[in-house]
Amino acid sequence: MKVFRSHLLLCGGTGCHATGSLEVKKVLLAELDKRGLSDEIKVVETGCNGFCAMGPIMVVYPEGIVYMLIKPEDIPELVEEHLIKGRLLERLLYKEPVTEEVIPTMQEIPFFAHQELRVLRNRGLIDPEKIDEYIARDGYAGMAKALTEMTPEEIVKTVLDSGLRGRGGAGFPAGLKWQFAAGSKGDVKYVLCNADEGDPGAFMDRSVLEADPHAVLEGMVIAARAIGSHYGYIYCRAEYPLAIQRLNIAIDQAKEYGLLGENILDTGFNFDLEVYQGAGAFVCGEETALMTSIEGRRGMPRPRPPFPAISGLWQKPSILNNVETLANIGQIILNGSEWYAGIGTERSKGTKVFALTGNVNNVGLVEVPMGTTLGTIVSDIGGGIPKGKKFKAVQLGGPSGGMLPVQHLNAGIDYETVAELGAIMGSGGMIVMNEDMCPVDMARFFMDFCQDESCGKCTPCREGTKRMLEILTNICEGRGQEGDIELLEDMADTIKDSALCGLGQTAPNPVLSTIRYFRDEYEAHIKDKRCPAAVCTALFKSPCQHTCPVEMDIPSYIALIQAERFEDAYKLLLRTNPFPAVCGRVCDHKCQSKCRRETLDEPIAIKFLKRFIADNASRPGVDAVPVTRKEKIAVIGAGPAGLTVARDLAIRGYKVVVFEELPEAGGMLRYGIPAYRLPRNILAGEIDDISALGVEIRCNTRVGRDIPFEKINEEFDYVYLASGAHKSQKMGVEGEDIDGVFGGVEFLRDFNINEEAWLSGEKTLGSRVSVIGGGNSAIDAARCAARLGADVTILYRRLRQDMPAAEEEIEAAEHEGIKIEYLVAPTNISGENGKVSGITCQRMKLGDFDRSGRKRPVPIEGSDFTLSVDAVIAAIGQTPDVSFVPEDSGVSINKWSCFDLADGSKSQTTDAGFFAGGDAVTGPDTVIEAIAAGHQAAQDIDQTIRDKNGEPPYETPPEEKIDIPLMIEEETEERPQARMPELDALSRKNNLIEVELGFSKEEAIKEAIRCLRCDAEI
Amino acid sequence: MDNKILLTIDERELEAKPGQTILEVAKEAGIYIPTLCYHPGTTNVGACRVCVVEVEGARTLVASCCMPVSPGMVVKTDTERVLDARKLVVELLWASGDHNCLTCESNGNCELQDLVYKLKIEEPRFKIEPPRYEVEDTNSMIQKDMNKCILCGRCVRVCNEIQVNEILDFSMRGSHARVGPAFDADYIDSECYFCGECVDVCPVGALTFKQARFEGRPWETEKVRTTCTYCGVGCQLDLNVLNGKIVKVTGNSEYGEPNQGSLCVKGRFGMDFVNHQDRLTTPLIRKNGELKEATWDEAYDFITEKIAAIKRENGADSIAGFSSARCTNEENYLFQKFMRAVIGTNNVDHCARL
Repeated sequence: MKVFRSHLLLCGGTGCHATGSLEVKKVLLAELDKRGLSDEIKVVETGCNGFCAMGPIMVVYPEGIVYMLIKPEDIPELVEEHLIKGRLLERLLYKEPVTEEVIPTMQEIPFFAHQELRVLRNRGLIDPEKIDEYIARDGYAGMAKALTEMTPEEIVKTVLDSGLRGRGGAGFPAGLKWQFAAGSKGDVKYVLCNADEGDPGAFMDRSVLEADPHAVLEGMVIAARAIGSHYGYIYCRAEYPLAIQRLNIAIDQAKEYGLLGENILDTGFNFDLEVYQGAGAFVCGEETALMTSIEGRRGMPRPRPPFPAISGLWQKPSILNNVETLANIGQIILNGSEWYAGIGTERSKGTKVFALTGNVNNVGLVEVPMGTTLGTIVSDIGGGIPKGKKFKAVQLGGPSGGMLPVQHLNAGIDYETVAELGAIMGSGGMIVMNEDMCPVDMARFFMDFCQDESCGKCTPCREGTKRMLEILTNICEGRGQEGDIELLEDMADTIKDSALCGLGQTAPNPVLSTIRYFRDEYEAHIKDKRCPAAVCTALFKSPCQHTCPVEMDIPSYIALIQAERFEDAYKLLLRTNPFPAVCGRVCDHKCQSKCRRETLDEPIAIKFLKRFIADNASRPGVDAVPVTRKEKIAVIGAGPAGLTVARDLAIRGYKVVVFEELPEAGGMLRYGIPAYRLPRNILAGEIDDISALGVEIRCNTRVGRDIPFEKINEEFDYVYLASGAHKSQKMGVEGEDIDGVFGGVEFLRDFNINEEAWLSGEKTLGSRVSVIGGGNSAIDAARCAARLGADVTILYRRLRQDMPAAEEEIEAAEHEGIKIEYLVAPTNISGENGKVSGITCQRMKLGDFDRSGRKRPVPIEGSDFTLSVDAVIAAIGQTPDVSFVPEDSGVSINKWSCFDLADGSKSQTTDAGFFAGGDAVTGPDTVIEAIAAGHQAAQDIDQTIRDKNGEPPYETPPEEKIDIPLMIEEETEERPQARMPELDALSRKNNLIEVELGFSKEEAIKEAIRCLRCDAEI
Repeated sequence: MDNKILLTIDERELEAKPGQTILEVAKEAGIYIPTLCYHPGTTNVGACRVCVVEVEGARTLVASCCMPVSPGMVVKTDTERVLDARKLVVELLWASGDHNCLTCESNGNCELQDLVYKLKIEEPRFKIEPPRYEVEDTNSMIQKDMNKCILCGRCVRVCNEIQVNEILDFSMRGSHARVGPAFDADYIDSECYFCGECVDVCPVGALTFKQARFEGRPWETEKVRTTCTYCGVGCQLDLNVLNGKIVKVTGNSEYGEPNQGSLCVKGRFGMDFVNHQDRLTTPLIRKNGELKEATWDEAYDFITEKIAAIKRENGADSIAGFSSARCTNEENYLFQKFMRAVIGTNNVDHCARL
């Protein structure tokens, strides 16, 4: 036997073929030849390696180094570096998507490390077209044992005892099936292999057939021996040409070796088989339809009984097992049932192969023990969700399956658990979906698939799926009606109960499962005609506008920037948002997360473009609106929610008075956000415009202290409560009341009121400051402290990717020299002389998943350490202070200290005279949500008044028409988002100069051109 | 084998023979279970699902037409769950096509119509589909309107399993599925023999007898049992007669042998001669080279006279008799008897011998 110094195992699965492994192989062979290495180094084309997202993929043995995403042009360098000079070619090694760590060997890459290979044990290791390689890995040893040492009864018993359940989907015990067929009388019986894999997103069986076809043949011979069959078929869809080709090669080789056909291994046992190519009908995966199809007739299911074990193919006793089931058999016989049952859960033994696809970093084939948690598969093996998006659900079991949402990430996947959660194991297609998935649209997609693939035989499936699709389509397109959800549920239950075969009986699963977990999104589509995931295009003009809580007309103002009509753009901004200059700086820009440009490169810098308009166009003048209505409105709290209500009601002719406890209006915008992010004059300008309408703002007036609550109630017809959330949550650790320990918002308020005192050193935090928390307030506090010259450390109990703060804020903090310690949580604060001196923390590790889809931090015992500090700022969350509302007011307050809203209302409290909104209702949220709440409340208050007076609803006065130009780039080239110019980090010390400098006109126009104009109707 | 199976249907304890289906046992016991796709003498396909019933221990409802009874089985045929399913199926079928009874030829003879009424469905919860298929009107015997088809598959099964003509089958998938000859050809362009069996078993108005269109409602016509006059098999059939006119011919499996309700193209579609304008209704006698109407008495007298004269002059063997396959066996028997015993010759033959 020829010995090589190195083996290059190049993946030859369909995935890698598609990404170019055949060309890579050609170039590689030529390169080796050119360098005279052909006798030293052997190239082996293997079956699917599993890590399909990274193909073409190649493992170099004996070192076990794995190279990924190889292009033909990489080959000369790869050969030169690795094979000649013995150095790793780092750029082609695996890089961990989140940490960017380079991992050279397969066993250490998390994708492979968590897997347990049984069915896929030969993947990437053998040439599937060489039977010797299979035999060298114990191939056919199980069959030999079964034929020479075991009786058919013993074989059946071993399979029964192993607990192996059908991997095709239903999970019927394989041994039981065999037992029935073995007990059926008849001299002709058939062993059938179901290789008609047809679920969208499933490619397990294909890979097994392509990578290890002999494993399936071996399983079939053993099955044949067990039931007394001498002929078999592998029903494989014609769309799997490589699988069919390799199967046929394997069949020929096995026959040549006496492992198939007449007198196998000289035992006198005969078994032959052939590959039957299916035409690609999904229903032919159903066992009776599959048999009908092999019989040469239209693949339609027939009723059972009779069951195939009694009367199957051509009315003869038959067993049908799926590829993965059969691929397990050889190993079970060889190693025994106990070995197999040694892993898995109580009722689901062994491993399961999943095709992991969708919005996940590591797309590929995954084999894990039954009972492995969903989170392990998605997060550890799958590497999480690309582009920092949030995990929403996986669809398990294809169109017959259901969704497992974020709250079930800790669920151990086995047949029972999955069924309980409303999905099915199916053949193991696992489609990961991120926050941009609309469950209604997804249900519609799968229903479309099912109604298309329905054979048309039975009424519930043929007509029922069509009608369910019709209802789902209506909902997606804004024609949903009250009662649709109930009708869908009704139909789903009946169709499941009455359809003829598995296809119809499972087709409603995606609908039931999405209704179960995402009923609110269905309701949003039906009642509000909104698609929260911004997928159902019929419901909106553009995803960005639809996602904005105040539905700013984003594509239009971007188009106006492009056309250099900045004044018009400004007018457009003000139609929906009284604070465009503020939002252009501090908005959390949900709109950008749905920007379709992201699928090409990066989202449009919508926030910065808004700021550009507000900063560069001249502000339209504001005239006072005469008071025309008799009702008077009081607003408590001059934050964004309160000011928006005041503005909207003033425009409608109401007299509005805003009461504000602090010296200036603005709420959190003024006292939470530091001036380097939101300069005071910018905020003041926008508030002045509201005052100019005639709104009266009384500062330094705390209701309940400076003016009695009852008095307001008497003087005004309606009251809007928008007092925000200005109280920090306690950490609940000892010592947090010591001097020098601040709450996040309390510190920021003090800092923002007394900027000069802090900057001049009159007030000080000391030189070492610890900030606790990972949200925007924590970052704001840390950056303020850093400006005062302190050495600042942020202590956060999870990982960076879990921080709720905006990524750009975290980066800015790092630029400013702020250290961030992850996976630490405070346990104790100690003091000296009545002043804080140290903070003791515990290191955390990540445990199971919480309901947010993030891994829960779990303390590591004995990992305590103490930091010496002069100040601690605890910014772990805020709650409203609603103590100004008397207990007997009729306005109910919930356990989070927030105002409760009346049932069915979006702004009215439990006392009809009081409305509420903003953080005081929602808890800490964003500026734009507060503005949206303000708009809503103004509309509701006005409507309440008009209803009471018997007046018609308010009509918005006609607006000036602004033509929106349509200019779209001829060709869209990849070009990332424009970067915001910033003040350099050194110039930020000891001052509050705005850090972000704003786009120039050229930058803004160039960025505006990137917009794909999803709103355009062409 | 006469081991009996004991089971319970709707709390009645019943006896059944092995191999019987729930539906068969229920029918025998007078328990009503609706059916649409079920057709005796053909494979039970369980397609329409209106016959679903609840069987204790079963994961889902089961189609009673396909489910063999087993000892101790407990069946319920009229629970809410069963009725809900039946209702949904019927609503879906109703909404799936152009089931407009006003103009439908099968009005009054439609199993879907009966079920809608029986299940008390005021209107389907789904929008009724506008017609999407053109009515096939290219032959003179069968009118095919796929807009009314409920895809029960009875026509396909009788074509393949009873007549074994193997003309009809399903094509397309899912809600696009339809029935027809290969390549979706029209009947006339296919190999169809026009036995009309498919029309006879159609439970709705998808396949109708074209000649019967607008000729009479089912409740107006009278069914007259007769024997087909076309050949000697003696097929039994029903003439559907209105005001003395044959509207259409239908089979009737209750008549049993020889044809079990099946017919061929002639018996099915060839009866229009009865009311044809060219049909002779009185005997004609040629006088002076011209055919003249005569009474039966005149005609018989004329024949008797002529035959008696020939026999007298030239002997009995100068006369030969030739009878028709369109006559019954009994008529043929009488005819040869007449030739032999009355005329006195063995010169008698029959067209079927040629």
